[in-house]
Amino acid sequence: MRLTILGAGPGGYVAAIKAAQLGSTVTVVEDTEVGGTCLNWGCIPTKTLVASADMLAKTRELDTFGIELTGNIIPNLVRIIDRKNKVISTLVKGIKGLLQSWGISLKKGRGELVSPNEVRISLTDGSQENIESDRILIATGSRPAQIPAFPFDGKYILSSTDALNLTEIPKSLLIVGAGAIGCEFAFIYGELGADITLVEMLPRAVSTEDHEISELLQKELKKKKIKLITNVTVERAILEDGGVHAFLSDGQKLVAEKVLVSVGRTFNSDNIGLESVGIKTGERGEIPVNNKMETNIPGIYAVGDVTGGILLAHVASTEGIVAAANIMGHRCAIDYTVVPAAIFTSPEIASVGIREYQAEEQGIRYRTGHFHFRALGKAHAMGDISGLIKLIAEESSDKIIGAHIIGPHASDLIHEATLAVRRGLTIKEIAETMHAHPTLSEGIMEAAGDVHGKAIHVPRK
Amino acid sequence: MNPDDLRYHKEHTWIKVSGNKGTIGITDYAQDSLGDIVYIDLPELDATVEANSEFSEIESTKATSSVISPVSGKVIEVNEELSESPEMINEDAYGKGWIAVIELDNSDEIDDLMDASDYEKYVGEESK
Repeated sequence: MRLTILGAGPGGYVAAIKAAQLGSTVTVVEDTEVGGTCLNWGCIPTKTLVASADMLAKTRELDTFGIELTGNIIPNLVRIIDRKNKVISTLVKGIKGLLQSWGISLKKGRGELVSPNEVRISLTDGSQENIESDRILIATGSRPAQIPAFPFDGKYILSSTDALNLTEIPKSLLIVGAGAIGCEFAFIYGELGADITLVEMLPRAVSTEDHEISELLQKELKKKKIKLITNVTVERAILEDGGVHAFLSDGQKLVAEKVLVSVGRTFNSDNIGLESVGIKTGERGEIPVNNKMETNIPGIYAVGDVTGGILLAHVASTEGIVAAANIMGHRCAIDYTVVPAAIFTSPEIASVGIREYQAEEQGIRYRTGHFHFRALGKAHAMGDISGLIKLIAEESSDKIIGAHIIGPHASDLIHEATLAVRRGLTIKEIAETMHAHPTLSEGIMEAAGDVHGKAIHVPRK
Repeated sequence: MNPDDLRYHKEHTWIKVSGNKGTIGITDYAQDSLGDIVYIDLPELDATVEANSEFSEIESTKATSSVISPVSGKVIEVNEELSESPEMINEDAYGKGWIAVIELDNSDEIDDLMDASDYEKYVGEESK
């Protein structure tokens, strides 16, 4: 079975390896760099910047930890970005090595579908090459969406990609869109010293999270003196006196050195020959697929952001594995019921399963349990006491159906709950499972205890 | 140890009235119960506050608690120094740890508050 994959991001390269493991002859076509958005302009570079910002924040607290520092603490953005690029290149090499080890052919260029069995590649050296295969997988991803009234210019109006390659810390930064990406950058550049204003169309920051989590994040934004203006849009933005003047829908005018637009993503389904083979696209340019990751054209599959589903790297990878298995004749279906997600703000946010507002909307009878990090010995020892663990359980079965964490290491802590939700464990089973002391994970056990009013480190209610 | 010239609210806030203005803070009992204060969400200037409702929020190493206003009115001054040094509330709850000055809507509200000796009795009972 010969397979050609367009795109070597977390959807495409994972599918390539999986298909190769199952015996396929795989060609991957990539016009930029393996690892896609996730590795080059998304998850990994932002986390590298978060690590620098966290280090800076901790360094500012050295005195609290009994460490004396003589001299100044100066963030150097050029070196921070250098480190980020080094991390990326190490990981890019790692993926290339993996592809090579599985005998996967990597073609550097832009792929375009000619027929259900043929892809034309415009190679980076200017030549063209046509590749025949039995199956095609489209994993071309997405790119930052822009606001037509003030498109990206890379200098004043920045995309998230641009914001990863600045050489100077802006004095002021207006961030349009307080979703995951906007909030992550707000904390990064806020810590580095920029004066940040976040503007959000919806009533709250990270609005898809459980509302208690959003509220707590908003408090943390306030603590860091990051301004948040909700229920407004930016109607226009003009360049004047070397800065951007932004006009909001509520009549306010804001002035900032730069503007970062993080209002969503556009799907990379254009100019890849979809029309010539008759692949349907949706209103937003996404490629609809079924639960086997098949498009409307037999033999052509699609995974990841371009399918318009959940725009997360690990979702794309899981879809890639499902697509590869189906391509190789193993029947399997994608399951989106349990998708953990993390936002790397300070503190971190992580979630899995149902939000409380969703449980209400769906008329589910539920109970909640809460536990604050400030009640954990480990959190005090670490000097990281802000945050909350919230569990949601179905009342009738006691099964855990949602978990929401804001606090230190939330992104790591969520997986105990993820496994519990996936396996249908009950709150009682979690509460009665011994957790090591002193750890942050004890908070999960205590939050489970709190569902039934039995947490040990919570005062009598 | 609770100053005689202040009036006290059952949610452990104090007010020092001078004319139609009142300076508000939390009591020594409150700061002691909260433990080390690490952050205060200060009210905004010109904000309208109502008696018996939250007008600020304090985070300590133990808990997050609402600060309840003893009176209704408008915030006319805020102790900005607390945003950098919230521990001043622990150190000097009745002095440098003041939170805000309110322009009173209705000075009759003061009559509903406790004096120092009543507050001490009240706290004595609450801590039992």
